[in-house]
Amino acid sequence: MVAAGLYLKRFYTVVRGEVLVLPSRVIVALFFLVLLGMPLISQNPYLIRVIVLTSIFAILAASWDLLSGFTGQMNFGHALFFGVGAYASAMLNVHLHIPPWGSVPLGAAAAVLTGLIVGIPCLRLKHTYLALTTMAFPIILMGIVFALPDITGGELGISGLQRISNSLIVNYYVYVGIMLVLCTIMWKITDSHTGIIFHAIREDELAVKASGINTTRYKLMAFCLSGFFAGIAGGLYAHYMRIAGPSTLEVSMSFTVVIWAVFGGIATIYGPVAAVFILFPLLEFVRFWPEYRMLIFAVVVLLILLYMPEGLIPWVRDKIEKECPRCKIRNVATRKTCRICTAVLD
Amino acid sequence: MKRVTFGWSFFVTLCLVIFMSVPVWGRTIKIGVIGPMNFVQGKGHWNGAIMAAEEINARGGVQVGKEKMNIELVKADSNEFLSMTDATNAMERLMTQDKVDFVVGGFRTEAVLPMQDIAMDYKKIFIGCGAATKSICDRVAENYSRYKYWFRGTPFNERYLVATSFAHLGLAGATIKKELNVPVKCAIVGEKATWVEGMIKAAEATIPKMGFELVGVWRPSAVATDVTAELSAIQKSGANLIFTIFSSSVGITFARQAGELKIPAAQVGINVEAQKDGFWEATKGMGNYVFTMNTYARGIEVNEMTKPFVETYIKRFGEVPTYTADTYSAISYGLVPSIEAVGSLDADKIVAHMENREYMVPSGKVKYQKDAQGRPTHDLTWGPGYLTSLGVQWQDGKLVAVWPNKWKASPTAPEVTYKGMVPLKLPPWMKK
Repeated sequence: MVAAGLYLKRFYTVVRGEVLVLPSRVIVALFFLVLLGMPLISQNPYLIRVIVLTSIFAILAASWDLLSGFTGQMNFGHALFFGVGAYASAMLNVHLHIPPWGSVPLGAAAAVLTGLIVGIPCLRLKHTYLALTTMAFPIILMGIVFALPDITGGELGISGLQRISNSLIVNYYVYVGIMLVLCTIMWKITDSHTGIIFHAIREDELAVKASGINTTRYKLMAFCLSGFFAGIAGGLYAHYMRIAGPSTLEVSMSFTVVIWAVFGGIATIYGPVAAVFILFPLLEFVRFWPEYRMLIFAVVVLLILLYMPEGLIPWVRDKIEKECPRCKIRNVATRKTCRICTAVLD
Repeated sequence: MKRVTFGWSFFVTLCLVIFMSVPVWGRTIKIGVIGPMNFVQGKGHWNGAIMAAEEINARGGVQVGKEKMNIELVKADSNEFLSMTDATNAMERLMTQDKVDFVVGGFRTEAVLPMQDIAMDYKKIFIGCGAATKSICDRVAENYSRYKYWFRGTPFNERYLVATSFAHLGLAGATIKKELNVPVKCAIVGEKATWVEGMIKAAEATIPKMGFELVGVWRPSAVATDVTAELSAIQKSGANLIFTIFSSSVGITFARQAGELKIPAAQVGINVEAQKDGFWEATKGMGNYVFTMNTYARGIEVNEMTKPFVETYIKRFGEVPTYTADTYSAISYGLVPSIEAVGSLDADKIVAHMENREYMVPSGKVKYQKDAQGRPTHDLTWGPGYLTSLGVQWQDGKLVAVWPNKWKASPTAPEVTYKGMVPLKLPPWMKK
């Protein structure tokens, strides 16, 4: 009892000292709480479906940010990893009867392998050339899908996949839980030593090389990590929709991911996640005006990018928080002095 | 005075609210219409459903047991050409938010399969009006207890589409032999698209068996704006019959340039652009004598229901109905009579009734099939006496029907001719 009390007190101290000091952390904590508590408020299947699909696409958008946002390897064909994950999971589940718990990670492994295969030739390319080359890969894979209809189902895709769970609530917690865990892992990666090197490669690859770091290894690692997370998203999507079809490889899928990431703010991980959680439900919300759904979506995206070129979330964060000019620690915008070094904030 | 004014205002408002709420008191049958509503296919779904609902409601609604119920349509944009997730979300919304009793529509197979799964989860009858893939109906036979709520409304499955095309080729080949007294040399021209692959394979295997010489296969882009190279090669090959497989804009380009160059060959097959009223204008009249498969045509009576349906549709929407407008038949002749017969909205009872019925629709007679093992597939029966579709040809600015005209599916089968048929015409420049 005493030990529990001590733990509670410590938890309260941590929350008060680490979370409540910054609005952005409060928002993230609320985001976790609302998502995890949502089924307690409503078990509406439509709402749950929208949140589950949003969670899957949030993983995909964050995985793009890990590769293109942090490492600067502009990938315009991210649907490749998503599609490989979806098709590999579907084939393993339907043809070899491997349950989702095995087929999704194995699908992700296939996407990692694809990341390696794509990454190696792409190492020689930069900027626009890299972007255009990556765009070609999902199209090539789609050609292969259509060329082998006996294995891939051709135009119809592979249908009849097993669900992760038949329970609405279990499904919800599995998908949302995986999203929260994977996005936290991606955010921790970008905050780690490896993440700093990714960042540095994007800013000045030559300087990183001059520091004795094998940038090739790190760029390949970024392709593989991004492929892994996108592959998981693809596998989850296939099992949720119960079909893996050519639409998972479409160019529009690749571009939608880029739109989400740019809208939320690249090189942040949480930006693309937030963007998906705003834009995907928004498209559902405007179903009452079906003729103008896409127009409304486009206007919202354009307005945000016009007035917030760094993306929505960094803009919001800059409005509610200030960075200390001396110790670089973030403070709530209403503070006059830094909460750590007491330097005067501008 | 103020009090009196407020009191009266409150009373009037209350009366208005009660008056406006009256229709809500009566239970309605909610039918979800799902399709790509910003595209011609979805518009067809919606137009057909509107016509059905208006007709049924005008005659007092549907008799469900002792109660009369009106039909209420719920429009759902699946956006399935652009997004699969949009399609499934729209279906989930129909099931859980709009709480529809039945669903009609769907077009792209990749979207229809997951939409079918959602409807089956909720045990709601879903009548597909767009996807021709056979495997959607195979699911009914394989897992009847789960998929029995699915029925195909239109079109008949892909195998029968191919069979119909070959019947059209047979008619054109016979006409060439009879009128020109030359052997038939056939070229296959299919746009570069996946759905064409299977048809080309089937055509390559079947055309020689029909006694025609196969001179080659050409695959222009689906959006080609110039096909003169292909046309020159076809002319050089000596082809006098061209089996076309087009669903995109290349159908216009090919017909126009073939007309301009006066290629001495008859174009027969599928050309979706040629099914539209605007084809003549789009080809500047050069699409004369182009022959394509279609479901409806002006002035053709497959049965006594065809003419009233087509004419009312043209009057209401200004165009000949496309096959996705068969949501009209699915509601008016499929669902409603079965609901009235069982006197309930219970899906299981309606399924049991519907799958054993044979009923007339404006495009023919519907009978749901069973597979070789006798399991219900809820797929449509094709052939004489059932659904056949039409073969239509542009003749001097008019889209007229030329098939089935004394058509026999087999030597022993009955002859089929619909009212309003005219003979197939070969381009006059073939006779020189």
